[in-house]
Amino acid sequence: MKGLAKGLKYTLSNLTKQNVTTQYPDVPLQMPDRFRGIQKFYPEKCIVCNQCANICPTDCIQLTGNPHPDPGKKGKIIDTYDINFEICILCDLCTEVCPTEAIVMTNNFELAEYSRDELFKDLVWLDENDNNVRKENKA
Amino acid sequence: MIRTEEMLLNVGPQHPSTHGVFRIVLKIDGETIIEANPVIGYLHRGTEKLAENLQYTQIIPYTDRMDYLAAMTNNYVICHAVETMMNIEIPERADYLRVLVMELGRVASHLVWFGTYLLDIGAMSPFLYAFREREAIIGFLNEISGARLTFNYMRIGGVKWDAPEGWIEKVRDFVPYMREQLAGYHDLVTGNEIFLNRVKGVGYYSKEEALDYSLSGANLRCTGIAWDLRKDEPYSLYDRFTFNVPAFDSGDAWARYQCRMAEIEESLKIIEQAVEQFPESGEVLAKVPKIIKPPKGEAFVRIESPRGEIGCYIASEGKKEPYRLKFRRPSFYNLQILPKLLVGENISNLITILGGIDIVLGEVDG
Amino acid sequence: MVNDLLTSPPGWMHAAIFFGLGACLLMIVLGFVTYAILAERKVLGFMQLRPGPNRVGGRFGLLQTVADVLKLLIKEDTIPKAADKPLFILAPVLAFAPAFMVLAAIPFSDHLKFSDLSIGLLYYIAISGITTVGILMAGWASNNKYSLLGGMRSAAQMISYEIPLVISVVGVIMFSGSLNLTEIVEGQKTVAYMFLSPLGFIVFLISSIAELNRTPFDLPEAESELVAGYHVEYSGFRWAFFMLTEYVYLFAMAALTTVLFLGGWNPVPFLGFIPGIIWFALKFSLIVFFMIWVRGTMPRLRADQLMEFAWKVLLPVALLNIFVSAVVKELFLR
Repeated sequence: MKGLAKGLKYTLSNLTKQNVTTQYPDVPLQMPDRFRGIQKFYPEKCIVCNQCANICPTDCIQLTGNPHPDPGKKGKIIDTYDINFEICILCDLCTEVCPTEAIVMTNNFELAEYSRDELFKDLVWLDENDNNVRKENKA
Repeated sequence: MIRTEEMLLNVGPQHPSTHGVFRIVLKIDGETIIEANPVIGYLHRGTEKLAENLQYTQIIPYTDRMDYLAAMTNNYVICHAVETMMNIEIPERADYLRVLVMELGRVASHLVWFGTYLLDIGAMSPFLYAFREREAIIGFLNEISGARLTFNYMRIGGVKWDAPEGWIEKVRDFVPYMREQLAGYHDLVTGNEIFLNRVKGVGYYSKEEALDYSLSGANLRCTGIAWDLRKDEPYSLYDRFTFNVPAFDSGDAWARYQCRMAEIEESLKIIEQAVEQFPESGEVLAKVPKIIKPPKGEAFVRIESPRGEIGCYIASEGKKEPYRLKFRRPSFYNLQILPKLLVGENISNLITILGGIDIVLGEVDG
Repeated sequence: MVNDLLTSPPGWMHAAIFFGLGACLLMIVLGFVTYAILAERKVLGFMQLRPGPNRVGGRFGLLQTVADVLKLLIKEDTIPKAADKPLFILAPVLAFAPAFMVLAAIPFSDHLKFSDLSIGLLYYIAISGITTVGILMAGWASNNKYSLLGGMRSAAQMISYEIPLVISVVGVIMFSGSLNLTEIVEGQKTVAYMFLSPLGFIVFLISSIAELNRTPFDLPEAESELVAGYHVEYSGFRWAFFMLTEYVYLFAMAALTTVLFLGGWNPVPFLGFIPGIIWFALKFSLIVFFMIWVRGTMPRLRADQLMEFAWKVLLPVALLNIFVSAVVKELFLR
């Protein structure tokens, strides 16, 4: 009986305590800076080195590049850059290997869509996704 | 004469207390179980086979998804295996961070177990109280690694990020807070007579049986064998901390409960000491080659995860990808004793026993 | 006014008036159920450090239950193919009807009552037993193994707990010398029977929680074991009827406890200026709160422990209570 009484006392004392829940959809949830949300892509920084596509554990990144239009310059510029968000696991490895920080993480985590097609993020979408970009990208 | 019949009852894969997609086919007589056949594999993703085509760094995020309640230990076991093969020295600071996150993960994992176990037994509130503290821990891990469950935090040779500013202090303050809450849990649950009646003497097995079935973790320690790899085969920095290995003799669900609750306290001790000894500065990632190619050969390492001994075997041919990767997944091994324990029990005890074993289906199915 | 009606010779007018009063009571009870569910969710929520319903109907979720009921009303009504159709349809009705019938016997205040049965207490206990049949029927007719187990558990539990429940009130009957609920309340003018037979009160409280199938005795619908027990296969408004049964019984049982042990509408000494009906409501709310509180704290018993508890603990204690009550009556109430 003593144990039961103790338990009842514990729950009763919690009755008046402050709630610990957040008002999530009404009040947006602030994630810590390192949080891994959907990527932001800077086409101008990309050197088409393909490292991100190679390191991706689920092969969700596809990219193509063209030779640089200015014949005097070496290297390539990005042509298409697609991330398939149906299979991306947000592991952060692509941003880790990127030598120019052309691809970085943002803190946006609300990724639900009504159609699978919308989960296919292309270069334009990733370029425009520029709020909440992570400040600290390399350890 | 009344004609009685046995009945086949299919519990799961969609059932509130099979903790995921576990299925068990019961042959019951009234409410008494005559035979139990577990069916697993609903969450099989072939992690081991997938790993054969992945670079070592790429395997780490996959291990997050095995035991998703304590992903840090999974991260550690794969990194530890590769580091053992390549003889990589880990910077001290990185090692401390690893210990800290692993022990925080252990506390979080045991809290989930505590909450869901009580939910299985029918008490609703402990679940929400336990999740309040777990949420704090998840917050810490989120701050340091950038994810709430699938951390992908450790790297071969160290960790990805150093601790953010103020993180260590927050963890230090968390320890006394957690102790206070733990005392509350004991008030709420541990002395509760109904709870005691539900768990005492339920799901008993002896020392010998536990060893025969190759049980580990709290499932082994509940029979009185104080076997903990952190103590018996210290890895990482565990030889620098003083802590006990709680073991209880009764071998039933009650002993397993006590064991896990005591382990939370021991983990808090380790966290406290690690925070105290935490080096002021230093590297968090050792100098490792950009592409990791362990030498030809094989290695097996095992560490203590919240659920038991998690092992990782790597056979390497000296390439970027492992030739074969095998995880000894503790939940899978611990589950093997279930059909034996269930014979003759009733359906309420099925829930108590299954919950007491503490399985994570992501790990069982691999 | 009610007293006049009850004592005057019957007629069609009476039938009409009582029908109207009954309909009013049904509305009041439904209103109570609506807000009891909300109160339960809110109190549980506060105990568990969360706000509970807070979307529909303002910050306090005042319309949450209304919205839930509306949703259940327009939900598709499914009947499993293999179910025993007539029984399946009949079961919720059979479970609900007695729950409302028992309310007829309960006096809410000096003037507010719907009958003056001289065997009110017996009537309550006898009628409430019928619900078990409805639940067993639901469990059987669903043709689902989980519901069958739930139905079996329910029958076993209700029958076992009915016995200590009945025996625990024998003390009260001895004190008041009547089975009439009004007279029982009148007998508590000076001191509530709760203090005269504390043992009986405790046994009654525990058995009543068991009769209501609430935590820690919610085995028939044990969520983590039997998914939902006897109403696994029910949906829409048939399911709502089972929920309604549960909460109407909560209403009835809390009212009965108030009448039998807490002194009904009798005021606490020196506070006689507050009307009786308010006292009734206060005492009644206290019981309801206690039941919610227990639900927020306790784990569930196991089926065999449940039986053991009823037969080996509650029944002997209830029997002991009879002797203790007799002694108390002999020594103090002469």
